[in-house]
This record gives sequence, C-alpha cells and structure tokens, in this order.
Amino acid sequence: MPEPLLSVENLQVSFETRAGVVRAVDGLTFSVGEKEVVGIVGESGSGKSVSMYSMLGLLRETNVTIEGSVKFQGREILGLGDDQMQSIRGKDIAMVFQDPMTALTPVYSVGWQIAEQIRAHGTENKQQAHARAIELLAEVGIPDPARRVNQFPHEFSGGMRQRVVIAMALSCNPKLLIADEPTTALDVTTQAQILELMGKLQDTYGSSIVLITHDMGVISEMADRIVVMYAGRPAEMGSRVDVIRTPQHPYTWGLMGAVPRLESKKSRLVTIPGNAVSPLDVPEGCAFAPRCDHRMDICSTRPAMRGTEHQDACWLDGVQKVTFRSERHSA
Amino acid sequence: MSEVILSATDIVKSFSIKSKKIGKREQVQAVSGVSLDVFRGETLGIVGESGCGKSTLARCLVQLLAATSGSVSFNGTVITGLPRRKLRKHRREMQLIFQDPFASLNPRKRVGDIVAEPLRIHGFGDNEKINARVRELFSLVGLDVNGLQRYPHEFSGGQRQRIGIARALALNPQLVVADEPVSALDVSVQAQVLNLLKDLQEKLALTYIFISHDLGVVRHVSTRVGVMYLGELVELGDADSLYDQPLHPYTEALLSVAPELDDGTQSTRKRIVLSGDVPDPSHKPTGCTFHPRCPYATEKCASEKPAFVAISPSRSVACHYPRA
Ligand SMILES: Nc1ncnc2c1ncn2[C@@H]1O[C@H](COP(=O)(O)OP(=O)(O)O)[C@@H](O)[C@H]1O
Ligand SMILES: Nc1ncnc2c1ncn2[C@@H]1O[C@H](COP(=O)(O)OP(=O)(O)O)[C@@H](O)[C@H]1O
Ligand SMILES: [Mg+2]
Ligand SMILES: [Mg+2]
Repeated sequence: MPEPLLSVENLQVSFETRAGVVRAVDGLTFSVGEKEVVGIVGESGSGKSVSMYSMLGLLRETNVTIEGSVKFQGREILGLGDDQMQSIRGKDIAMVFQDPMTALTPVYSVGWQIAEQIRAHGTENKQQAHARAIELLAEVGIPDPARRVNQFPHEFSGGMRQRVVIAMALSCNPKLLIADEPTTALDVTTQAQILELMGKLQDTYGSSIVLITHDMGVISEMADRIVVMYAGRPAEMGSRVDVIRTPQHPYTWGLMGAVPRLESKKSRLVTIPGNAVSPLDVPEGCAFAPRCDHRMDICSTRPAMRGTEHQDACWLDGVQKVTFRSERHSA
Repeated sequence: MSEVILSATDIVKSFSIKSKKIGKREQVQAVSGVSLDVFRGETLGIVGESGCGKSTLARCLVQLLAATSGSVSFNGTVITGLPRRKLRKHRREMQLIFQDPFASLNPRKRVGDIVAEPLRIHGFGDNEKINARVRELFSLVGLDVNGLQRYPHEFSGGQRQRIGIARALALNPQLVVADEPVSALDVSVQAQVLNLLKDLQEKLALTYIFISHDLGVVRHVSTRVGVMYLGELVELGDADSLYDQPLHPYTEALLSVAPELDDGTQSTRKRIVLSGDVPDPSHKPTGCTFHPRCPYATEKCASEKPAFVAISPSRSVACHYPRA
C-alpha cells in the first residue's frame, strides 16, 4: 500500500485556560491518500478547526499544547519552525476558510493578492504572475477575469470571494487542500457552485482535499471517506458508503436522524437528548455516553477506535449495532 | 380547506438606500407584490436565499414594518394602516420568533423577566398571576423553572431559543411567525427545537409562518410552501407536491442542489447548478426576474413578466413555462 499523503497519529490539542484544561482534540488518527477527499464532520466545538490549525502551525496561542504526530509525504511536520511551516503552507498545503476575508485583505486588488501568493512560492516575475492570476480567476469561474483581476474584495459577492480564495489556494498547485466550512456562509445555489468547482478542480489538479463541515449532507455528497467527531474525539471513520449506509456509532445515528430529509416527511425527527458536552469536562469514559440511549456500564471506560476499514469507538457489539440501527430506521 | 386567518394582498416594501453614486439615494424593493393566504392551523413555509425578502415580508405581515403598499387582513379585519391603539389587540395575537437567540434576548435581564415582559406590557394580571404564567411557559417549552433567575448567557443556544419561544407564546397568540428559528443551532439541537414547535402547534392549535433558507427543514414542518426570489413569491403550493414536482425552474434548481444524505450508490438526482449570482435587488432584471439565470428562458421571459397564477387548486406559479 502506498504511503498516504497525510497521516495524523493520535493528535492531542489542549488549551490551558483559567477555567481549566480544554481538551479540544483528543486522540485523532486518520490519513489522507493521494487524490482522496476526506470529510470531517461534527457539531460546533467538536474540534474540527483546531485539529487542522494545529497541524499547520496556525495556533499561535501560548496556552496551547499539541502532541502526537502529523506526517506529510512521510515527513513529520508537527513542531516544525515557522520558516519551514511557511514554505509548506500555501505551497504544498493550501487552506480555504469559511470567511473568505480570512485569506484576503481589503486593501489590495484580488489580482495583486493572487500574484503575491504565486511569487512567494515560485519563480514567476510580476507580469507572469499577473497573467497567471487572470488564468486562475477564469478557471474558478469568475466572469470577465481580465477586468475583475484589478478589483478589490468588496466588489465581489460572498460566493465570488470564495472563488477568489480558491484561485489563490490553487495558485501553487497544492498537493493538499484543507477547506474549513468553505460553504457554510453561502446560500444553497452558491454552495452548489463552489462544491461543483472544488470537485472539478480536484479532477484537474489532482489535489487531495480535507473538507470540514457540520453538514452531513455536504459531507456525504463530497467525501470518499468520512470522519465523525464528537467532543474532540473521533467517533466513527470509514468510506462514504459504509458510514452513510451502515453507521456504527449511536452519535452518527443521531446526527443522521436529526437531519430533515427532502424526500420523505417524518412526523418527528430523531433527536439526540441533552446538549453538547462542555469541553472543560468531557466524561472519563465514552464522551457521548451521557446522551446515549444505549449506554451500558462499560461506557464509563473510554472505548478505543476499533475496526480496520470501517472503525468506530463504541462498546456495543456488532449484533447490537445492527439491531439498534434498524430499530431507529423503522421508528 | 379551513378558514383564512391572515390574508396579504399585493404587499410591496421599498427601502431608500444610499446609492453607489455619491450623494444619491435609490430605492430597493425588498418585497414586490406578494399576495398570500394563511389558513388556520397550518404551517406556511417560506423559503428562499438570503436577501430575497423573507424577513421583510414577515415584518410587514405582523405590522412590525409598514408596507409601502398593499394590505393585510387578520381574522377578517384589515390591519394595515390601523392606528397603534387599535392595532395592539391584533398584535398580541401575532408573535415573532427570531433566528438569533443571542441577539434577541436582552443580556442584562433575567430570563424570567424576559418571558414576563409581554405579560406586563399587556396587563396580564398581578405579579402572582404573571409568575405562575411564566412557570407554566417554562415547563411548556421544556425549560427548568430553576433557571428563571439566570441570565441569557448562562444558557445554550437551544435553550435560549426555547426562552424566545416561551416569550412569543406568553400571550397565547393565534399566529406565530418564526424567522429562521433554528438556523443558528447545531443539527441535534435544531431537531429538538423543531419537534418542540410541532408539539406546541398541536397542543395550542397554533398557526405558523415558518421562514427558512433550509429546504429540508421547511419541508419537514410545512403544510404549504412558498418560494421567494428577489422579493417575489414565485411558487406556492402544497408541500408534498411542490417538493415532488416543482413547477418553477428556480424551485427545481434549489431542490436539485440541496445537500442530501447520499451514499453515492444510487445517484439519480440531476443537479441543476445555476450560473451567476442573485442580481442586486436595486437593479432587477426585466420580465421574469429569474430569466438571466434560468436554463429554460426564452425571449418572452426577458420582456414579459409572468403572472402568478393558479395551475391547480393547490398550486400556483409565476412562470411562462412551468415544469412538469
Ligand atoms: N484558543 C482557545 N482557547 C481555549 N479553547 C479553545 C481555543 N480555541 C478553541 N477552543 C475550544 O476547542 C474546542 C474545539 O474548537 P473548534 O476546533 O473550533 O471546533 P469546531 O471547528 O469543530 O467547531 C471548542 O470547545 C473551543 O471552545
Ligand atoms: N432596513 C433596510 N434598509 C435597506 N434595505 C433593506 C432593509 N432591510 C432589508 N433590506 C434589503 O431588502 C432585501 C431583503 O432583505 P431581507 O428581507 O432581510 O431578506 P431575507 O430575510 O430573505 O434574507 C435585501 O436586499 C436587503 O438588503
Ligand atoms: Mg470550526
Ligand atoms: Mg432574513
């Protein structure tokens, strides 16, 4: 089996705060293969963003502790110095955020910003970089790119700005694109445009993608593999078909049951009782146990991720999972 | 069909905004001639993308905003243009629930007082009676009465939305307009609030106007659904048949791209990804306002505005070439 492009091993991120230690990410292990789209899904506060930022050296807080291993193309990148990280970020690994203005500055034209990005990592001169910026804008579907290249971010709509950021992310031909809720702030028709664009570009550029979202629908339409996170920990991981067809973890069942469907109208949604756990006091055992309908005594001990291709962290045995899952489906 | 509780005729709302040209002002029409009836006991869902005029329409319906033209009647009485004093008794029958449970609750007030406020304003009774009612409301929406003395920030988003619901229900309204009530919530909490709204509707015989940009959510709660685009109602119909067979090309496109759980093994859905952005509402296209983005548009669509007409007793659409 070829070495994965990115492999994350037992990632732990915690913040020392006045109120106590926040375990934002606790034992995340996953990998991303060449040209693979891995989706990370979970509700707000589940540690999706922090896990990505910690990998890329983007957490600047002094109260943060990061442990574990993150290998990119076989090379350990956790703990690299700023300079070395900088040369990876933007070149080999690019990021797209929920708010496109995170990546853009209001005071320069979009063309200037894309050209800077190109020149920072390449050998192009100003003119070449400018010409390439126009090409990239065209590629991400911005009409009249030769004119719009000279415009400023505020002259673009939200969806068009996100296209500009994607153009910038692609400018250095990254091997890995990390997209953190890239369509969450957008309307559904614009979201569809951006997701279609990401799919198309992935075909052309052959980049791998880590797509982070809270939207089970978006993940299921985009990802080859899915990681479900709860309270900083992975709950379930597997191929799209496995996770969507035969979810193993009660939290995944809850997430899927809670989404209202377009085609069938159920009178009641299946809900997950209670509220998300406070990151300050995640239970000793299974983090989901206090909200779980199938809680057992053993759940006060933390379950490990078990399985090979399709993994989950739950103490229920295979037969129980099949039974409970089908009970929910018919409910 | 049951009785009409609220009826809106040709509602128009314009705002005057600063133009991009310095010193000039221009009109933006946020709502352009919407007519609809709401039937007692139903949930009328309103869906459309941001800026299409959903919130403005909602505010015009409950008289929080004065429409530029058009009329609204409630229980058979025309309420547009009524003086404040006369409006008051109708207003308490129509309450709003807002999207943002953070912004809509006063952070310096105890939640018990927040819920009691409408009771005090409308002279519900003495303190004892008000307190009893507040407790009743708290248990109605599934909140612990021990929290009455606490402040909004001590509650989670879902709990705060329950507080907003309790406040809206305090005066026993007939009609509740919920403007994106679950959009700020995580999906598991969203489902709890949707179920609560459903239970309350049954228990209290409420009529809902439910506004959301989320097509799945709207389908789930609605009896009938109206689709808005650029300030206009482009389609209105019975929820099931509208979702199964959309008539307007915009509805069709919206439904085709709404994210759905999909394991990739039976992708029969044909996606219609619209090109371009929603046009600026201060410079609306001629004819059918959707024509520049419509995959089926002809010359007629660019020049002639389609009327909003009933195609069947339960379906209406504004399109020269309805689908299906
Ligand atoms: N700088 C910080 N200090 C303390 N806690 C933090 C900090 N940044 C994030 N967190 C906490 O870490 C957890 C995970 O956050 P995040 O990764 O942003 O969640 P998600 O992206 O899944 O919504 C949350 O509980 C959040 O409050
Ligand atoms: N107070 C206002 N002044 C000027 N323009 C407004 C005002 N309120 C809304 N608008 C404009 O009216 C249009 C419809 O807005 P809104 O009703 O909030 O849409 P929605 O709720 O569907 O997102 C938008 O173009 C918006 O910018
Ligand atoms: Mg995040
Ligand atoms: Mg609104």
